[in-house]
Amino acid sequence: MHNILLIAKREYLEQVRGRTFLITTILLPAIFAGVFYLSFLSGKSSGVGKHIAVACGDAKLAGEIRTEILADPEAKATVDVFTPEMDGMLMDSDKAKLIAEVDEKKIDGFLWVDVPANGPIQATYEAQTSGDFVTSERLQSALNHALLRGRLVQDGISASAVDGLMKDVKIDTQQVKSGKEVKSNALSSFYSAYVMALLLTMTTMIYGLNVGRSVIQEKASRIFEVMLSTAKASHMLSGKLLGVGAVGLSQIGIWVAAGAVFAGSAFGMQLLSGNLKIHISPLQVTLFAVYFLLGYTLNAALFAGLGATLETEQELQQYSPLAAVPVWLSFSMILLISTNPNSPWVVAASLFPPCTPIVMFLRMGSQMPPMWQIGASVALMLLAIWAVLWFSTRLYRIGILMYGKRATLPEMMRWLRYS
Amino acid sequence: MPVVELAEVTKAYQDKVAVNRLSFRIEPGQMFGLLGPNGSGKTSSIRMMIGITAPDSGAITLFDKPFTRDSLTRVGYLPEERGLYKKMKVLDQLVFMGGLRGLAAGEAQKRAVAWAKRLDIAQSILKKTEELSKGMQQKIQFIAALMHEPELIIMDEPFSGLDPVNATLLQDTLLELKAQGKTILFSTHRMDQVEKLCDSIALIHQGNLVLSGRVREIKGRYKRDRVVIEFEGDAGFLESSEIAEAKNYSGHAEIKLKENGDAQKLLAEASAKATIYRFELVEPSLEEIFIQSVGGKADA
Repeated sequence: MHNILLIAKREYLEQVRGRTFLITTILLPAIFAGVFYLSFLSGKSSGVGKHIAVACGDAKLAGEIRTEILADPEAKATVDVFTPEMDGMLMDSDKAKLIAEVDEKKIDGFLWVDVPANGPIQATYEAQTSGDFVTSERLQSALNHALLRGRLVQDGISASAVDGLMKDVKIDTQQVKSGKEVKSNALSSFYSAYVMALLLTMTTMIYGLNVGRSVIQEKASRIFEVMLSTAKASHMLSGKLLGVGAVGLSQIGIWVAAGAVFAGSAFGMQLLSGNLKIHISPLQVTLFAVYFLLGYTLNAALFAGLGATLETEQELQQYSPLAAVPVWLSFSMILLISTNPNSPWVVAASLFPPCTPIVMFLRMGSQMPPMWQIGASVALMLLAIWAVLWFSTRLYRIGILMYGKRATLPEMMRWLRYS
Repeated sequence: MPVVELAEVTKAYQDKVAVNRLSFRIEPGQMFGLLGPNGSGKTSSIRMMIGITAPDSGAITLFDKPFTRDSLTRVGYLPEERGLYKKMKVLDQLVFMGGLRGLAAGEAQKRAVAWAKRLDIAQSILKKTEELSKGMQQKIQFIAALMHEPELIIMDEPFSGLDPVNATLLQDTLLELKAQGKTILFSTHRMDQVEKLCDSIALIHQGNLVLSGRVREIKGRYKRDRVVIEFEGDAGFLESSEIAEAKNYSGHAEIKLKENGDAQKLLAEASAKATIYRFELVEPSLEEIFIQSVGGKADA
């Protein structure tokens, strides 16, 4: 134990005193905060301030669509009603004219509403950008509202009664926690969990890879033989995992402390209000530390074993996508996780050790998973760590004394048998 | 009571037998040379002695007990593949190494400073390792192996890469340690270095023990059939019937006598033709003995 602690202390001090630690401690949260604030702002401003033309053979309907679009103050749209060449009928030449206006960037797009005498109404939105789903949704809602309004009025309901009937009602979100209603903001809960999951991903990957890199550097510096004459290979690996893990925890500790100070400041309180209000419970903070340690140890054990079989850091870089696979897998399920956090697929992913830390935190953004699932996920991760460590220690024990070339798969299999 | 004893030790890697039924013992206070060409099994034998690898068969005892890791605190080891933490300061590095060998931080620091003064690198002790020359780094590794005052010192190719001044400094330090009663094992493929330093040797080739014992006894087993002559004048005596082989380097001749060649007769013939400044009947070098023993198959 004495040697493990000594090795851990050396590893910790070397990394903490390094320039990389200082840079990542300051830059990583700054980049994160910047990226998320920007994405939040861009989310708020997407589909805003568009200049749209509404083309419809029925001038009355076109006017009502315009009124509906302008009724949404967040849209800040400019809406023109297009007058067709022939009254009451849209022609191909009208469309060509509108396309030319889009091309010349006079308008952002146009809504083409075809009202045939018989058959259903057909509508198309043609615009400079194809992916503006916010504007498409707004236009669809405006068109449907206008059509419904027209039909109701046609059926003899007074305009004021129609206004009353069609008034939008805003839904307030409340979360039920332990049988009690708690005020919640779905967007900010999602963002908080998303940020924590991403931070967890970055730290476990960075520090896991750090262990692999450190093994390769020590191998290149030929220090292992001196070390092995005083310490066991398993102690060396344990010390390294402990030391680098402590560096990660220290960095997270610094971020939490700095975050708490910022959130408590007047500027922080002003900034983190409304949709940006952060909801992070003490349980989430504790679980963040637990999942960091587990996720880090799993990655670190994997890369320590791998590092021992390689010769250069460039070779290690080629294997880094290995650590990214569970991240891609987890984030590809983000829609399902946020809308249905207890579906069997999501529960299965959160119990699959490589995905557990990320999926669990994304689930927490919608709903805190049951304690038995958290307990099971921790147990399964411990089991996975044990299994990976079993292989890695064996590869490490022999690989650190093998110089000159990258180990082949048959060689690695032989090393496993030797140990 | 031997400090190290190997009994019928064998180690193979896949199909290659690195060490084959190797046996020798090192007595307390001895300076012992483990000799052999590159790839002969020296490093493999040393690695087994200190538990880095385990033998496939045979037994190893350290300090008269079967090997356990606990006994490693009594051993100082300088491996052939030397390494240091490049970003660490020299003093921190030595305190760390001392700590691994059971020294308290304060004591390790005190000893590191004293050793640095002794080896003339005190001015570099607060520098990062990567800022130092290769020779200086080697001295630091030397200190790391010795600062915990081990009873058994194992040095694998200790002088390789050193300039003559530093090689002599480290050689003198080893002799001082021997005088203090330490047991020293050093392995090398440079057999000329061993002749003047070691009491006993084990000579190995392709994992097999070729010969072992005290240097004097081994050399005594071989006839003195080589003559070195430094002369001025007629070199015609090199055609003597006593000579099997001769090389003449302008006044310096190296001669191998015939099976029953008479050195005194040769001296008389040489004196008759040239002025003799030096006439020495030399014993065979360890390298020559080695080549003779392995039947000229050595790759050293």
